Amino acid sequence: MLEIKDLKVRYGNIEALHGISFTVDKGEIVTLIGANGAGKTTTLMSIARLPRPEAPTVIAGDIIYDGESLLNVSPDVVVAEKRIALVPEGRHIFGNLSVQENLQIATYALDKDANVKDAYEKVYSLFPRLYERRKQRSESLSGGEQQMLAVGRALMTGSNFIMLDEPSMGLAPVLVYDMFKALRQMNEENMTILLIEQNAKIALEFAHRGYVIDTGEIVASGTGKELMENPDVKKAYLGG
Amino acid sequence: MDKIRQNLFIYSVGVLFIIILVLAAAGVIDLYIQTVIMFIGVNIIFASSLSIVNGYMGEFSCGHAGFMAVGAYVSSVLSVTLFTANKLTGAPLLPPSLSVVLFPVVILIGGIVAAIAGLLVAVPSFKTRDDYLAIITIAVNFIIVTLINNMAVVGGSRGFMGMKKVLYAMKDVVPFPYILFWVMTFAILTVFIIRRFVSSVYGKGIIAIKQDEVAAEIMSINTNRMKLVAFMFSSGLAGISGGLFAHVIGYVNPGSFSILKSTEALVMVYMAGMGSLGGSVISAILFTILLELLRPFQILKWVIIPLLLILLMQFRPEGLMGDKELPDFFPKLKKYYKFK
Repeated sequence: MLEIKDLKVRYGNIEALHGISFTVDKGEIVTLIGANGAGKTTTLMSIARLPRPEAPTVIAGDIIYDGESLLNVSPDVVVAEKRIALVPEGRHIFGNLSVQENLQIATYALDKDANVKDAYEKVYSLFPRLYERRKQRSESLSGGEQQMLAVGRALMTGSNFIMLDEPSMGLAPVLVYDMFKALRQMNEENMTILLIEQNAKIALEFAHRGYVIDTGEIVASGTGKELMENPDVKKAYLGG
Repeated sequence: MDKIRQNLFIYSVGVLFIIILVLAAAGVIDLYIQTVIMFIGVNIIFASSLSIVNGYMGEFSCGHAGFMAVGAYVSSVLSVTLFTANKLTGAPLLPPSLSVVLFPVVILIGGIVAAIAGLLVAVPSFKTRDDYLAIITIAVNFIIVTLINNMAVVGGSRGFMGMKKVLYAMKDVVPFPYILFWVMTFAILTVFIIRRFVSSVYGKGIIAIKQDEVAAEIMSINTNRMKLVAFMFSSGLAGISGGLFAHVIGYVNPGSFSILKSTEALVMVYMAGMGSLGGSVISAILFTILLELLRPFQILKWVIIPLLLILLMQFRPEGLMGDKELPDFFPKLKKYYKFK
């Protein structure tokens, strides 16, 4: 579904990715794990084609989605036509709008004849909490609820491929577990997921496959289980 | 019954509209009060047009008076040459009685030309962000004023007049306070259209841009195009307010569209709160009345008004209403106020 080929990107004069390659197949949950500054977020930003200064410039390699290169595609087309959604780090919800209005903005990406009601129902059944709070200003939600809203908003765009940047950030452990269960449920309903995590343990537990990224290069890959048992990964990311 | 109650707010605006018109036609409220009401209408359009860019979209345009000038001059020149004997074309190009029907069209054309001017400014400006947009729009304000100052055809710095004759031509057909009618109509329409715009899914896009450009982009909003549309819309409305302003006074000169006029709009929007349409209307009303009350102080009013602004920033930096609307403060109003 998604194929990253030898991708090299830079911010200004600083090269952030030194040629990484990986693939995500349809129906998979794939995770990229790694330390701070390894280039995980940069990778997602590049795939979402966000403009500068938010995202880096691609200098070599290619991003191929469903057989077509994304390099010359604008960010709004990535969402509206390629149906790739991004849940950015730090949630980026619209704080002064209500929960419902946040979701409403995401319907911007849907086709004119799309069934908006079904889309709302899908999000509200996955996150009943959001339905309870639909009239509330979203900045008044708790961290966990805001993260649900960010994921719900990405779902509303009608995407079948979703990229998440640190969904566990700032959440209580029990909420992290709930969030991942929701992701698995989405995956069972045909959503392909690319996930970035610092919490390598839970990410590898839920993902089908994983890649370990370190200072702009992929250093290990395998199924979730394989990586969990890999002694190097264990030592560096799983606390021994 | 429920339906009537939900629309009570709109009905009461309509009733107020008719009462003012009837009183004006009957001569109960004198011309001075009528002029103040018309200034209020013009300022409502002007302030709410700026609140699209500075309030809802969170960009900073400082030169809105420039677009007002474009609208004012285009519609003035059109209406004077079309409907009255004048220096430019001699005899009127159209029968003066047609002015009754075509007056709003002339005003709208002024608005459209101003919108095009807005687009010309926006295309290069929105390659920048924040402060740079403010600098560019100030420059544009100066460019437009200087251009008009040097156009002998429209009177240069002496100004351009004759719009009163258009009003007389209209009154010759049927006596009726036309200009008052159109100012109030355009003001109500403007507020209604902006309200519809910002509560639509499409219009939510500009609120999204203000909050978070990255998030707006990943919601598939084409931020560049959205900014252009909003800026055009806003400068077009400023042009309409300019056209009406010119016809209310009956005389325009480039001096009335200087940076001071842009500042007035900024004061109104920041007094109102960023992103509150109701606030813009209220502060346009308050500000116009305040200007009239302070008229005896002459230039000193430009000491008093900035002082008020400083006090406001000190004690209520988000403006009178912040980004909330009236029903957020008085939830009971919601019963009478269904505006979507």
